[in-house]
Parts: sequence; structure tokens; C-alpha cells
Amino acid sequence: MSEPEEYRPDPLTPVLTRRWLLPESWTLRHYTELGGYEAMRQAFAMAPADLVSLVKDSGLRGRGGAGFPTGMKWSFIPQPKPGEEPTAATEDAPQFKPKYLVINADEGEPGTCKDTPLMMADPHSLIEGCIITAFAIRANFCAIYIRGEIVHAIRRLHFAVQEAYAAGHLGKDIHGSGFDLDIVVHAGAGAYICGEETALLDSLEGRRGQPRLKPPFPATAGLYAAPTVVNNVETIATVPSIVAGGKDWFRTMGRERSPGPKIYSLSGHVERPGQYEAPLGTTLRQLLEMAGGMKDGIPLKFWTPGGSSTPLFTDEHLDVPLDFEGAAEAGSMLGTTAVMIFNETVSVPWAVMKWTEFYEHESCGKCTPCREGNYWLAGILRRMNDGQGTEEDIDTLLDVCSNVLGRSFCALGDGAVSPITSGIKYFRQEFLDLCQAQPAATDRVLAGAH
Amino acid sequence: MGMFDGIAGFGVTFSTMFKKVVTEEYPLVKKVTAPRYHGRHQLNRHPDGLEKCVGCELCAWACPADAIYVEGGDNTPEARFSPGERYGAIYQINYLRCIGCGLCIEACPTRSLTMTNEYELADDDRQDLIYTKDMLLAPLLPGMEQPPHPMRLGDDEQDYYVQGPEMAKRGLEQAGEHDLDTDNRAGANALPGAALVGKAPEDQR
Amino acid sequence: MTQAPEQEAPPVPEGHVRLTIDGRTVDAPKGEILIRTCERLGIVVPRFCDHPLLEPAGACRQCLVEVEMGGRPMPKPQASCTMTVADGMVVKTQVTSAVADKAQQGVMELLLINHPLDCPICDKGGECPLQNQAMSSGRAESRFHEHKRTFEKPLPISDEVLLDRERCVLCQRCTRFSDQIAGDPFIELLERGAHQQIGTEETAWGAGEEFQSYFSGNTIQICPVGALTSASYRFRSRPFDLVSTPGQCEHCASGCSTRRDWRRGGVTRVLAGEEPTVNEEWLCDKGRFAFRYPASPQRVLQPMVREDGVLTPVPWVDALERAATLLAGARDGRGEPRTGEDGEELAPKRGVGVLPGGRLTVEDAYAYAKFARLALHTNDVDQRARAHSDEELDFLAGHVAGVAPSHVSYAHLEAARTVLCVAFDPEEESPIVFLRLRKAARHGTRVVHVGSWTTPAVVKTGGHLLAAVPGEEPAALADLPDDLAAALAAPGAVVLVGERAAEVPGLLTAVSELGARTGARIAWVPRRAGERGGVDAGALPTLLPGARRVDDADAREAVAAVWGVPSLPAAPGRDLTAMLTAARDGELAGLVLGGVELADLPDPDLARAALAEADVVISLEQVLSEVTEHADVVLPVAPAVNRSGTYRNWEGRDRPFATTIDPGQGGSGRVGGTAAVTLPDCRVLDSLAVEMDVDLFTQTPQAAAAELAELGTVAVTPSTPATRPSSPDVSDGTRLTSDDSSGPPLTGRVRLATWRQLIDGGALLAEETDLPGTARPPRLRVAAGTAERLGLVAGEPARLGDTLDLVVELADLPADVVWAPSHVPVPGGVVTLAGLGLGHGDLVDVAAPVAAAVAPVVAHGEPQ
Repeated sequence: MSEPEEYRPDPLTPVLTRRWLLPESWTLRHYTELGGYEAMRQAFAMAPADLVSLVKDSGLRGRGGAGFPTGMKWSFIPQPKPGEEPTAATEDAPQFKPKYLVINADEGEPGTCKDTPLMMADPHSLIEGCIITAFAIRANFCAIYIRGEIVHAIRRLHFAVQEAYAAGHLGKDIHGSGFDLDIVVHAGAGAYICGEETALLDSLEGRRGQPRLKPPFPATAGLYAAPTVVNNVETIATVPSIVAGGKDWFRTMGRERSPGPKIYSLSGHVERPGQYEAPLGTTLRQLLEMAGGMKDGIPLKFWTPGGSSTPLFTDEHLDVPLDFEGAAEAGSMLGTTAVMIFNETVSVPWAVMKWTEFYEHESCGKCTPCREGNYWLAGILRRMNDGQGTEEDIDTLLDVCSNVLGRSFCALGDGAVSPITSGIKYFRQEFLDLCQAQPAATDRVLAGAH
Repeated sequence: MGMFDGIAGFGVTFSTMFKKVVTEEYPLVKKVTAPRYHGRHQLNRHPDGLEKCVGCELCAWACPADAIYVEGGDNTPEARFSPGERYGAIYQINYLRCIGCGLCIEACPTRSLTMTNEYELADDDRQDLIYTKDMLLAPLLPGMEQPPHPMRLGDDEQDYYVQGPEMAKRGLEQAGEHDLDTDNRAGANALPGAALVGKAPEDQR
Repeated sequence: MTQAPEQEAPPVPEGHVRLTIDGRTVDAPKGEILIRTCERLGIVVPRFCDHPLLEPAGACRQCLVEVEMGGRPMPKPQASCTMTVADGMVVKTQVTSAVADKAQQGVMELLLINHPLDCPICDKGGECPLQNQAMSSGRAESRFHEHKRTFEKPLPISDEVLLDRERCVLCQRCTRFSDQIAGDPFIELLERGAHQQIGTEETAWGAGEEFQSYFSGNTIQICPVGALTSASYRFRSRPFDLVSTPGQCEHCASGCSTRRDWRRGGVTRVLAGEEPTVNEEWLCDKGRFAFRYPASPQRVLQPMVREDGVLTPVPWVDALERAATLLAGARDGRGEPRTGEDGEELAPKRGVGVLPGGRLTVEDAYAYAKFARLALHTNDVDQRARAHSDEELDFLAGHVAGVAPSHVSYAHLEAARTVLCVAFDPEEESPIVFLRLRKAARHGTRVVHVGSWTTPAVVKTGGHLLAAVPGEEPAALADLPDDLAAALAAPGAVVLVGERAAEVPGLLTAVSELGARTGARIAWVPRRAGERGGVDAGALPTLLPGARRVDDADAREAVAAVWGVPSLPAAPGRDLTAMLTAARDGELAGLVLGGVELADLPDPDLARAALAEADVVISLEQVLSEVTEHADVVLPVAPAVNRSGTYRNWEGRDRPFATTIDPGQGGSGRVGGTAAVTLPDCRVLDSLAVEMDVDLFTQTPQAAAAELAELGTVAVTPSTPATRPSSPDVSDGTRLTSDDSSGPPLTGRVRLATWRQLIDGGALLAEETDLPGTARPPRLRVAAGTAERLGLVAGEPARLGDTLDLVVELADLPADVVWAPSHVPVPGGVVTLAGLGLGHGDLVDVAAPVAAAVAPVVAHGEPQ
């Protein structure tokens, strides 16, 4: 593990969260008072292509889990060359189709709680980000696909969009810029898979939420087969501050390849769980300090750096810098920075079973490995936790995991097996202990084999 | 020429007189076959009398002599012959062709088709040697009921297959029998033909 | 495919890429799916969801292979059914890659954990891709100790298709077929995760939209496991006990290849044959499920002669002798002298007409045509057992007879930019043409329908309707919108005209004129399998075999020379209606009928009267029918499975087929359980002619075909417009004329549009108990405004004419027009609008029925 980077004096960098603690922070009045919608005006003064380069140069990476460079994603949207007019041959080409911006607000990863409070406390930062992004990619329609269960956030977002329309920030010819933008807030119907961007697009189109075949990628054929940018809420909400503060300011936070602030959602056995905005690269040790340490002083056993789809960490990993590279080097992923912290009272096989049951329930069913694999894995884990497992079940678990990992249609399958493989990797003995009662040679009745 | 020359020619005769007689007194005395003798077939039943045959035709497929003809049928709620969806609606074995190889009973996935030790398979009419399902079905033991009737031993066919051996044991114990295997090989061996209702009495044929 | 030797690699052909699969270099066309390239190399990659005619899905993940791009191996195995080939790609399949093999084994194990072990009773067992691939890439032993997921089974998703959700591997072939090919999205995925399942609105909600698709049977055939099974084949047989014989579908003029699976003398199922130029791999439900008619108890299996008013079985020799004597007498007018009403002596009836019907092979039609001319000395032969006109004869002579598939074929439809359908609802009248039109429409072809309402076929082929009031289609064609006229003038445009165009006077002439005006190619799509062959074989009163006209002396001479006779009858013959009229009026002494259903004729009552009046009625039939009730001699003929022959489809493409079940040989001489040796029509006619001292040389279909080939076809220029101006038969008072089209119709009098539906109770469907469930329920369709004016309520019955009650459904018809199917199946038969004296374009009374007057023929929907 590399040396942790130089310790910054104050790890709390309120950029996204700076308005959160104000009373009625979600109103347009408060947002505007604190410099809101200034970035939008600045952006309108720039050329769209310059905005794309600015975001590209700022090094902003997607906050939804994969960490794809945001500016690069925007630059994939095909735009007509200067002066290019559609001809009979090219009228159906992607550059002449309408472009769409879709915000992925279907926050469903277990442990993740950053977009919901952001949309509750500061919805206008998202809306301003949408306006700037849509302007940059020349989209005139933006859909915010929001998780259906968080009705309170949906209401607040609806209210904010109304306010923005009333203030002239949305609609036709916004503030005389000649730019039109409509935002639609669309509530999902409760499927984890709809957080996958192509499944989200299918769901948005009114179809069954299942991932699409890629290629074509959304950048060329996304929503209604038109070029589409799909970005996470936090990513887009960061954009106004980049436009306002500039790329150099943005790069003062975080690390070289993962700059900027990030909201870490701490949950589980800590004294003060919640959202902590800190520069990328902050370690769990620092985050725990901020959160008042482990609850009741019971020592840390294991934790997830970015939700249940990222491989587990243990107390060995307290000093892993939590950015995209740091987490990956340590054998996990940054994911959504949903840091779930478990103390020594928690059984790893039990927690892993609960997560696997989540994936079993949420697998969309399209591809075999994820659909059947999670069904089987959950079955084995349930049996083990009931004391009916055997040692060879552990090998079966790992083998089934290897048959799901990288074989499934989308990343859900990959994420689903990571708690199991990492759990067995770090806590194999705990699984073995569960199997003590059942020696491997037990001649079990093949209950299902008929 | 010696004095025994006259009777030397009877050597074989006399020695044979004291050997064990190989002549069988069939049909006055019927020979008891080896327990695994490949005799006439039997279609077995579940303990409640439902047929084990599912009409899968694997026996017909396995048969090297093309002696078996099967057609499946649909069990309906009104007329159920076997647990599950399918039953053997038509079942025929042509004993003019059967070579008794036993591949059919190897192929049977439900242990419906087994072979008894009944070996009296001669007749003077070709048609009579094509045995139909009613002739091949095992007799109804106590506790069994002539299909069609609903499943008595469970809600679906899985109950029959998974707990079948257990149920057979219980059913036979209740019936005062000790033979746990419903294929009835031993029973047929002790009294050839006695357990076989299919073969119609002589006067009816 | 080229194998490149290592030393000198030939250049990559234009539009191709070069890649390496399992160490072998291969050139593949750009955009080809990797799994197909592997197939061409002979490397079989296991797969379930992949189907060459469906868009890729990548759902089953069984076809994973290792791929290296630009020297870098891709981190995960890739699904070869979704990946397109690229230059420099290095692919390792399970043959050379342990990773790919492990991935495939893993997926197979996962597929099997929830798959029931009921192979012994599964209809797919023995021909199951899952079974085969479990053997090739599966584990020998299960590691799965949990409980298998169970569902209630089987679930009938239609009358013909049963669903077993436990066996389903969720490859989505069926849902993709329904969506992409048929356009009837009747089944969908429901639920998610391990509980994901195939279902219909009904299985999801307990009730819902009625399942209806004419193509549902294809889902059974493409299902890679036994999840979708056929109700008619269920548990009837195992594939390894069946003999598979290629055949041709006898049900319509689409010309589909089929595979008939049979044993013990009876067909157990019909599958679509692979024929890329015609039906690809699809078959409509009628072709797939209507195969039990040869086992009908109504089958005629022995010749019969009427003795004392009763049909009595007799040996062939006696029957042929009797028929020959009767026919010769009738031909020569040797019957009893007649006495007129006033007591004066009339000349005896004279002459015999031939009505072969439209279901014949080319060889049979040729035999009928030759029999009429040589044995009966007449041109009175007309195969058209449906509405017909003189105008149509000219159209057929000018545009159809002798035209080869190179004029218009399925490939032309697919390539056309514009297709215009006139008097033709493709889904109802030629389902495979419909599938091809839909395929074309999905790729940008504009398919325009001239019709009265937006039928499902219109919706599914792009929704372009050119609305026309029934009877006024010619005017609509004469006055096409400019953009459509321009599109038809572009190269490759096609006009498809249906057989019912003959019902509208002037329509075929208008089509000819449209063709001449725009240059669009014209193709005629009849319904019945034999119609097109009959045109070419001369089973028409004005045409001799090979597109020769009867009124052309040279043509007659040419045919006479081949037939070895001095001359042929010169006078053009009478058409079907004229023959029947003559028979009724005592002018025609006899009739020879093939497979003709009286209900199909334009005037069934006339036909009944004619048969009753004719002195001699000879029927060549498969089943007892209304015709055999009047017949003096009934000669049994063989159904398509028991004979060989050739159908000629609407393209003019020959669809030859061999005998499926030879009743004389295999199958213990049984046909559907009955001993019978029946003969093809051409053989029967040949023998009959011999008894009349004439040699037809059509003892076998092969002999007939050889002679027909010797006759050849005279050169035809298909764009020749019709020679005769339209002479509409306007004697019928209800026929639409320009006078009554001007004023508003009288109250309750509306114009009728009608055509046949695909499954509407024809004779060949008589034995099918499940198929009618797939049929569209007969409905009276009317626009909302007209319904209001007439007092009709959607969902309630309305009375058409005097007796026929049909449930009303609203549709976008023009004002004061109603549509009804021309055949309405009822218990024990069919009611036809023609039988009620109603035709397309007629004025008809429609009203809400008075309560409890006549028992409704169809109360609520379902055909009985």
C-alpha cells in the first residue's frame, strides 16, 4: 500500500453540502442567496464545447460508482461539425438527432445515502447542474429518473423544478440565451436494476427495466435511440461549483487522478452516522475520527468502501485512501462511497447472506448467471447460516461466484458476488465454523433433485 | 473276446442310470427360475394403485427388437392414471419379437417396467402374443385402487417419487406384506403366474 | 470463408475483416455476428437465446468465448451471439480456451439448477438443445442441494400453446419472436430475478386481452427447451419415434416448406421447414396445426356409386366404368329426351362442365384441364370456386399466367421501397407474405393498404391505410395521392392484388392501368394453394396450359400437337357461374367436381340447384361433402400427405413434394387408423379417361409434370394491360352503382366490406378442435358515428341482413360502411355472407336485433 498522501488540515470541504444545514435550504431563495444560478449565467456566456473541456480538465469523475470521467462522457455525444447541415443521407445520423440528458437518481445500492439527502437539502444545485450540462451537450430535454420509494425527495424535487420554471431558469429561451430546456422528474417503480444506465433508459421509455445490449452505447443511441448522457446526481450537482470555481480550484481537493470533494455516507456501528463531505482520498481512519469513532468503542471488524457491491475491507484497510485508485489498489472499489461499518458483533456469513438475498431479489432476470447464480448462492448461504452447510459448500460458493463474475450481462452480477468472495477471503474461518456441525461426508438428502 | 464283452456295450446305459436325471417334468412340475430371470414384463403401480408408467417411450426406444409400442396421454383432473401430467395411454409388448434382453427395464426412468419370472410365453395365435396394457399391469394389491382416481398419497408427483419407497413400505406393511419392492419379482417367482392378473384365463381367450 | 495459408495471406476481400478463431484465420463480412462465423468454420458454440432471424439478446450467456482485440485480451469472456467480428480479433472458443469452457460449463450448471428433471415426459426430450448441450458442456453430477423453483404447470397461454414455466430458460426467443416477427406481443416477461417467467396478460392479472396470433405455433418450434409445447402434439409421441419427411403446405398460396413428423400412418405434427427464399423458418398456425383432416370420419376411402339413391361402395373398376358411361352419355347428349312445360319435346341436355376447385397441385389441375378438353371435348373448366369475373380471366391471362418468380418474389417484397396491397389483407389471406411485408416494413419499406379499415395487418406493417369505400377501390387507385403515385413509379415498387379483387368490377383493370401508368410490378396473391398452378395448367375456360389462350388458333394447335390429337375445342368455355346456371337451366347435362365447397361459391343456392338438376355429377373428393350428396359417382382422392406433386405458389415458384406416408407401404397401410389406398386426382382422371377411350398420360404426377414441362410456357409480358374493358356485371340490384352512391343511404342500409379470415371453418380445418381458439372471433366492424346512427353498441350483437348476428366492434371505417368476415363458423358448419346473398360493396341492412327473435348465430365472440 502506498503512503497516504499529505494530510490536509481540514478534511471537511463543504462544497456540495455547504447549504445543507441552513433552514429551508431547499428553497430557491436560499440557493440564490448563496450564489446559486450564477454558474448557469457564466456557463451561458461560454461555448458549449468549452464547458465540456472545462469539466474534462477539472478531472471530475462520475460519482455513481464506476468513476468514468464526466467530461469525456459528454464529449462522446456526437455533435454536427461546424456548418454541417443534415442531408438525405445523414438526416438519421446521431449528430442530427435530439440529445437527451438523463439524471440517474435511482439510488438503490445498499448503504448508499448521498443523492437522497442532496436532493432533499439542495435540489437546486442539481437543477443548475442539469441546465449547465444540457447546455454543454446541447440537449433540450432532461429527465431525472428518481427512485420511486423516496417520495419525500420526489416531492421536493418537483417543487424545486417548479420554482426554477417560475424563475425562468427552465423553459424556452432561458434568460435570453436562446437555450431551451425542460426537466421532467420521473419516479421509478422500485427496481435496483434501474440504476444501471441502460435499464434506466428502458424503464424511462416505459419498457421492462432490463439492461440493453452495448454497443450501441447511450452516447450514440440512448433514450429513444438518440444520443444521451446519463449521469449521477452527485456528479451533476458538482458541475456548477466547477463552473463557478474553475478547474484549478477543483483540483485543490482530492488527489491527482480523483480530484474534488465527495460525500461519504457512513452507516453502521459508528457514533455519528451520516453524510461527510471530504476530498477524495480521505481514509476511513479520518472519517471515523469525524464520526466520533466506533459505536460504544467496539472494535471494527469489516466495512464496505462503496456499498455492498464492492468487496469488503477489514481493519487492515483503515488507511486506504478512499478514491478510485486507492480503493482499487487495495482490492476493492470506491463505488458510491457508501461506507457501511460493522463491529465485532456481526457475523460475516450472516451479513453476506443478507446482501445476497438482496441481489437475489433484485436481479432483473435477464441473464442466466445473475438470475440463477444469486438464487443458488442465497440458498447455499441460508443453508450455511442454518447450520446445514458443509466445507465443500464454501468451494461451491466460490466456484459459483467465479461463474457469475464477468459472465453476467451487466455489472449487477459482478457486484453481487463481491461480498461473498471477499467475505470468504478475509473470514474463511467464520464460514468454516458454521459448517462444523456438518462434516463434508454427510450423505444429505437431495431435496431439490427431483 | 472276454466274458464281459457282452455287457460292455451297456456301459453307457448303466452309468447313465445312476446319474442325476436331467429330464424336466414340465409342465407337470414347473421349474423355479433364477431370481433375476428375464421373464414376462410387468407394469408396476404406486402404493395407491396409480400407474408408474409415464408413457415416455424410452423402453420402446431402447428395445433392439422393436417389440414395444407406447403412446402417451394427458392426465386430466377427471381421469388420472398416474401422478404427474403424463401417463402411458397405449402400451403394447409384442412377445413374438421380444428377445428378453431387459434393456427396456434398464431404460425405464420410473421403475414402472420390470420383468417377472413368468416364462410361459407360447401361444398359437399371433394376435394373442401382443400383450396390451391391461394384460401387463401389475395386480391391485390391498390398499390399491383401480385408476383413474386422484392422487391419494400426496399433492403432486414429487411426493410419489421422493417419498415413494417409504410409502411403499408403509403401504405393504399395512397390507401384511414384507416384500418392499413393488416390482414383485420374488412373489412372482414363488408362484409363477399367480400374481399376474393380466394373463387371461385360458377359457376367455 | 477462406482459409489463409500462413506463408502468403491473400488480401482481405472488400467489406470483410480477417480474424482468427481457434487458431484458424477466417475472413468474415463486416457486421457478422461472431457465433455465425464460428458456425461457418464448423465450430459449434452452444447457445439458447441466439436465433439467426431474431435480433441478438445476449440473455442466456451460454455462448461465452474468449476474445482478444488488438493484441489485448478482453478481461471477461464475451457472448459470441452479440459480438460482431472485427479486424485482427483473436477468438478462442471452448475448443481451445479453458476459460471459455469453464464459463460455458458454469452457465450450463446454472441453467440446470432450476430445470426440472422431467425429460422422460417432456415433448422436447430427444430433440432438445438443452439436453444436447448439457451433454456437451455440462457436469455429470449436480452440486445443487437446494429446492428447485416450482410453478404451476402447464399453463395454457392459448388453445394451441401450453407453457411450462419450470422448464423455461428465459432465453426470450418467444417474446422476441412475438414482438419482432409476428408483431403480436402476446407473451412477455413477468416478474424478476429467479421468479422471472414468461406470461400473458391473463397469467399476470388473471384476466386480460384475448390472446390472438396467427403465428403462435412458431414459438413452440423455436423454444430451445420444452417450455412451450403444442396442445395437439402434447404427449402424442417422442421425436425419436417419428419419421420426418419434408412437405409443402397445402393450406394457402404462400408456398411454405414444412416438415411432417409421422408414425403409424398418421401425421403427429407439422413443423416449419427451412426455406430462406419463401417462409424462412416460419409457418402460420393454420399450416402448422391443421393436419388431422385425413383422419376425418368423413373421409372417402372407397369409390362409391349411387344405387337406388344411396351411395354404395364398389370396386374401382365398377366405379370408373359407371362414371365413364355416365360422362360419355352426358357429353354426347344421350340422356333422356326432355319434355318442356308445354309438353313440347326438348333436345336432351348436353355437355359436361368441370369444376376442379382451387386446392390442386399443378399436375392435378393439368389433368383436369386436359380431361375437359380431350375426354369431354369442352373448354368448360373453371377452378375458381369463389367470386370471379371475365375481367379476372383477362387479368390472369395478361399478368399472372406463366409469370416466373423473377417478376415478383418474396425477395422483391423485401427489397421494395413501396408495396401497395389492393383487395388483399396479407395476414388473413397469405400469412407468410404478411410476415415478409412486416419484415420489409421494419426495415423501411412503405406498405400501403387499400382497404376499408385499419386492420391488424395494416397496423403491423407500418399503419399506412388508403381508405376506400367498398366498391370504389378502382376510383381510389385512379386517384392515388401524388406521393404514393411517385413512390410506385420508383424502381422496385410492387402492387399486390388479392383474388377478391374480382368482386369489385373494374378493380383489376384499374390495377393493370396503375401498373402501366407507374411501372410498378403487379403480383396476384390468391388464397388457395392450387389457384396459381391452375392458372398455369389451364384449368380456366379461356386458358390452355402454359399461358396459351383458347382463342388463339396457333396456341390450340401447339397444345393439340403435344397431346397427339387433331384439334382442341375452339370456343372459350363457360366460367363457374355460367356452368352452374346452364346446369340449373337444363342446358348442361353433367358436372365433374374436385374439392369444391358449395359454401365458398359466389351463389351457393345456384350451385345446389345446379347439382340437383344435373343428370350426371361425378365427385372426386377426400371427404363426404355437400357435393357428394348429389354425386352419382364418388371417386376418392388422396390427401397431400399420401401423394406426391407440386404446388405453385403466388410467386409462380414450384413447390414440389414427395409422398409423406405411402399408404401402400409403411404405416401398416393405415391412414389415420383406417386402411386405405387413395390415389391422386391426376391418376383417377387418367383411369377415368381410359374408360372413355382417351389417354391423358397423367398416371403419375411425375408424368403429368413432364408433359406440362414439354408444353412449356409461351412468352408473357406481365405488364400487358387487360385486353377487354371492364364489363361489370351489374344485373344485381344491390350492387353499388354511381347513382346510389350519391345520395345518403336509407336508414339502416349501409355498404358492406367483407373478406375471409385465415381460420374460418374450411373443410381442411374440420378435425381441429383447438385451432378455432386461435381464430379471430367474427365481429361486425363499424365506425363510431355510423354505429350511433344505426343504434349499435360496441360489444353487443347486431343483425346483418335478416339472420346473421355478430358482435359489434368499433373501427375506423368510412361512414356508412360495415365490415364483416365473409365466412362465419357456426356449430356444424359455416354461414357465408355469399350464402345470405351479400357481397363486398353491397348495400345491406344492419340493425340491433330485436330481442329474442332469431337465435343469434354468434352471441359473444368465440366460434363454437
